[in-house]
Amino acid sequence: MSNDSDVKFRLNNSELWGGLIGLALGGFVIWSGLKLKLGTINDPGAGFVLFYTGILMCLFATSIIIAALTEGGPTFGSRWMNTRWTKPLLVIVCLVAFSFALNPLGFLLSSIPLMLLLLRVVDPVRWSLAIPIAVLVPLGMWWILKRLLLIQLPSGIFEIG
Amino acid sequence: MDTLVNVAHGFGVALQPINLIYCFIGVFIGTLVGVLPGIGPISAMSLLLPITLSGTPESGIIMMAGIYYGSMYGGSTTSILVNIPGEAASVVTCIDGHQMAKKGRAGPALGIAAFGSFFAGTFALIALMLVAPKLASVAIAFGPAEYFSLMVLGLVVLTFLTQGSMAKALLMACIGVVLGVVGLDSITAQPRLTFGRVELIDGIGLVPVVMGLFGVAEVLLNTEQVIKRDIINTKITHLLPSREDWKVSTGPMSRGTILGFFLGILPGGGAVISSFASYALEKRLSKTPERFGTGAIEGVAGPEAANNAAAGGAFIPLMTLGIPPNVVMALLLGAFVIHGLQPGPLMITQNPGLFWGIVASMYIGNLMLLVLNLPMIGMWVQLLKLPYNVLFPLIILFTIIGVYCSSNNVFDVHVMIAFGVIGYFMRKLGYEPAPLVLAFVLGPMLENNLRKSLILSQGDLMTFVERPISAVCLTFALVLLVAPLLPALRKKREMVALDEEA
Repeated sequence: MSNDSDVKFRLNNSELWGGLIGLALGGFVIWSGLKLKLGTINDPGAGFVLFYTGILMCLFATSIIIAALTEGGPTFGSRWMNTRWTKPLLVIVCLVAFSFALNPLGFLLSSIPLMLLLLRVVDPVRWSLAIPIAVLVPLGMWWILKRLLLIQLPSGIFEIG
Repeated sequence: MDTLVNVAHGFGVALQPINLIYCFIGVFIGTLVGVLPGIGPISAMSLLLPITLSGTPESGIIMMAGIYYGSMYGGSTTSILVNIPGEAASVVTCIDGHQMAKKGRAGPALGIAAFGSFFAGTFALIALMLVAPKLASVAIAFGPAEYFSLMVLGLVVLTFLTQGSMAKALLMACIGVVLGVVGLDSITAQPRLTFGRVELIDGIGLVPVVMGLFGVAEVLLNTEQVIKRDIINTKITHLLPSREDWKVSTGPMSRGTILGFFLGILPGGGAVISSFASYALEKRLSKTPERFGTGAIEGVAGPEAANNAAAGGAFIPLMTLGIPPNVVMALLLGAFVIHGLQPGPLMITQNPGLFWGIVASMYIGNLMLLVLNLPMIGMWVQLLKLPYNVLFPLIILFTIIGVYCSSNNVFDVHVMIAFGVIGYFMRKLGYEPAPLVLAFVLGPMLENNLRKSLILSQGDLMTFVERPISAVCLTFALVLLVAPLLPALRKKREMVALDEEA
């Protein structure tokens, strides 16, 4: 019995946290709707739909939370069990770094290292193949966009590209 | 007679050299993304959305449509030869298609998939030609209340059919509506949820959201696993199915076509659901259901016909009502809007060249696909050998470029990466992105129609139930919302979800 209740009420129940995030978002949407003014039923204001959508979000999130508390749910660990969880994490880190580098460094100087990292960090591609792909593909795309489609990609502070 | 004149006019548009080129590019890219696992029609269409600006509306939309139905053809190749679905609608083809290939019958499996797709595609187009103008003339009478109720029904159907918890799917749909209304309020011009960012005044872009949730998130999920490909290495011969194969496949193909077409029209329905429904139907009707899963050709013919017919049927609500029934059609709506066109009941009469040109191009595209997928099958097989560790960085680079080109704004690249990460965690926690994206597209229309109907009816909520079409839609929506609470229907819904997971 005690084991059963441990399973149901454990804090690392991913369903419970999913529901709580939904509830918090719903609360925020209701608050935003109220701030924007609801108007009247004859003349709904800018916050009318937001307010009622927020209420629905809270209702659905509450139902998820209740299900998580009564039926239990998988832990965060079990969601990533038997997976190479570090790989997507590395890709996310590369993408975030790229997003910060894109404007100051420009497209070419940021996308070549990004490609090289992606080709090497997940399932490493041999250097002799990774380097040409990482250099030639962004360069080729840049040429097509700039010369053929006349689309200017960010050139960064060094004005390369 | 009118229809024939219109069809002739449509072929006149579709057969223009530039439109033929765009049609070929569309079906070629469609087959390519269908064949390659990890990139589907949604990502490809978002990627190419900005390119449609460079040509006429006809050319752009012909190409986008080609990507969609082309991917349905290409998806079967990967399912049969590698046992990895190239895109979601081909999941079910893996079951019997790959078993046939293992038994040395890859040729007939690929052949029946291509012929079934062609047959269904042709049927769907003829039905589209006949149904769309009639429905459009009825739809002119639709008011804001009908539109609002139809959109609610579409969202509820999609959440009902999404695998897993319905509460989660509904929560996703609500979040989609909220994201959709970010930006200036169309009636009061008040900024909403912009957090003082100028970039958000016009709202969040569809392309970064879709590319993030479907493109980047899919890549992140795929990197978690080592993708092993069990490619059938034997030479593919006998692409033309035998007389016996035709005999057993004709029934499933015809039933799959009709079922797929009607499921495609339904808001929230689509190619994925129709292929599963067709497989379940054939298994139930078969005198030897035990053969299913061991290489039954009916298990390939039915679902492949169904997903192509659904792809054709899905154009009906978009073209006649202006309501996209699924995420792919939402992107197509984006292409129309980019060109300043609004699909809906008046489009067929105001822009006959565009409507009939697209329809005719789809027939030409189907013929091109038959050539691309049968005599040129060897080329696609070679492409399947491209390793995923080389492919995924290219997909990431193309998504970044695609998003940047759609707005010439680095902010959208940030939005895409953010939605990619959010989408990855959403999927890990069992939250499906499809209801969010459809609600994101429908959100502003839904809000507009709700507010208009309340203003027109002077706040009388009965307007939604006093108008028959609106009342029917809302009743269906209510039934679907209540259904999971009833044990028998709940069990059925869970069965569908389990089938999809398999």
